[in-house]
Amino acid sequence: MLVTGAGAGVGRGVSAAFGAAGAIVGIGVRRPEAAEETAADVAAAGGTPVILRCDVTIAEQSAAAIAQLVVDYGRLDAVVHNAVSGRSSEATDFENTTLEEWEDHSSVTVRATWRLAVQAYPHLQKTQGSYLLMSSPAGIEGSERAPFYSAVKAAQRGFVRALAREWGPDHIRVNSVAPLAISPALENMKVLEPERVKRIEGLVPLGRLGDPETDIGPPSVFLCSDEARYVTGQTLVVSGGRFTSL
Amino acid sequence: MATAPTTLVIATKSGIGASLAKRLRDRGDSVLHTDPSLDLADASAVADSLRSLVGSGTVDRVVLAAIDPSAFRAAPINSLTEAEWDQAAEYSMRAAFVALQQAYEVLADGGRVILILPTVATTGVADLVPLCTAVEAIRVMAKAVARRWGARSITVNTIEVELAAFMLGDEDATDVVMPVVPVLGQSALPPGSAIDDVLGLVDMLATPAAGAITGALLVADRGTVMQP
Repeated sequence: MLVTGAGAGVGRGVSAAFGAAGAIVGIGVRRPEAAEETAADVAAAGGTPVILRCDVTIAEQSAAAIAQLVVDYGRLDAVVHNAVSGRSSEATDFENTTLEEWEDHSSVTVRATWRLAVQAYPHLQKTQGSYLLMSSPAGIEGSERAPFYSAVKAAQRGFVRALAREWGPDHIRVNSVAPLAISPALENMKVLEPERVKRIEGLVPLGRLGDPETDIGPPSVFLCSDEARYVTGQTLVVSGGRFTSL
Repeated sequence: MATAPTTLVIATKSGIGASLAKRLRDRGDSVLHTDPSLDLADASAVADSLRSLVGSGTVDRVVLAAIDPSAFRAAPINSLTEAEWDQAAEYSMRAAFVALQQAYEVLADGGRVILILPTVATTGVADLVPLCTAVEAIRVMAKAVARRWGARSITVNTIEVELAAFMLGDEDATDVVMPVVPVLGQSALPPGSAIDDVLGLVDMLATPAAGAITGALLVADRGTVMQP
C-alpha cells in the first residue's frame, strides 16, 4: 500500500497504524530523509516500511512510487492520499489572493487525487483494493479562515461519491476520512499558545484532539480492510464528536 | 423613491443561468449579464467585465451558474488526459473562485449571492467524476465565503437542481448532448418547471425575511434527492 504525505502528522500516524496491521507501507514523501521517523514507527509497529520519493504534483514520481511497490511486492491493495499543500495551515485572504495560491492547493489535493486514482487503477482492480482520501471537516462545513483548503477537501468528497459508483463494478472501494487530529502546526501551538489549544480541545466532546496513530489510524485501516468490504462512497468523520451535523 | 434591485448574472451561454437572466429581464427586473464568452478563470478579464457592467455602483444580487460544458461529457476518469481533467473539473472551481472574488467588489452591503449547481455531487454519478468533484468544491467554497461575508450582511446560498434542468434551463433539448445519468430516485412531487422553482427561491432569498439564511443548500428537484 501507499500513503502520501506520510512524513508527519496524520500521514505518519496512519502509516504506523497500517504497520500495526502488518502491511507493507509505501511511505510517500517529497524528501526521503523526512521519512525516517515514519519508517521507524512502521517497523516498530510490525509492518514493513518502504520509503518512496513521491511528490504527488509530479506525475512521474507518483507513477514510479506505485510501480516500485508493485514490482517489489507484487501487488497494491490500497492507496491513502493524505498529502496537502504546504500552505494548507495558512489563512487564505480570499478577497485579495490570486489563482497561484489556489493552484498550490488544487495541484496537491484535487489534481493528484485524480492522477493517483488513474495510476493505481489497474493494480487496485487486480486486488479489488481500496482508495482512501484524507479529507477534512473543513471540506464539509466550510472554513472562514481556509476557504481554499475547504473547497479542495470538499472536492475530494465529491470525487469519492462519484468514483465509488464508477469503480464499484470493479469491486474497488473509494472512501474518505475527515479527521480532527493533532498536526505539527498544532504541536507548535501547544508550546506557543497553550490556552488557544485548550480552547480548541474544549470544543471536542471527548475533550482532546485526535492522535494520528491511535485515533485516526484504526478507522483508516478499517476502511481499507475486508471488514469494510460493503462500505464505499462514504466520508467517516473522526473528530471526537466535534462535528456532529455533517 | 427606492431604487429597483439589480441582479448580476454570471453564467455560461446556455442552461439555467442564462434562462434565469432572461426570465428576470422579461418580467422587468434590472439585470446585468456577463458576456457568455468571458473566460471566468481570468481574474483581470472578469474584473474588467464586472466594472464595465456595474460602473461605479453596486449590485444587490449575484447569481452564479457557471459550470464549464466539458464537465457534462460522461467518461471514466482513467480515459481522461490531464488537460481534459483540468478543463472538466478544475476550470469550474477556478472560475467560481474568480467570479465570487470579483463579485464581492461590486456587491452592496446586505447583498445576496446565489449559486446554482446540479444535484449530482450529493449522490455521485459514475463517469461524471470531474463534475461531481467541481460541484462539491464550489458548494463548500460558497459556505466558506458565507462565513467571511456575513459581517457585511451579505448572504451566500446554493440552490441545486437536477442535472438536466441545470444544463437546459428553459431551452429545447434537441441540440444538447445529455449525459446518461442513472435514476437514483423518483421525484416526490409531480413534474414542473425547474426555472419557475428556481425563480421562486431566488425571490425568496432576496426578501428581508431571508436575511438570516446563509451558507444554506436549497435543493429544488421536486424531492428526488433528499438529504440524509
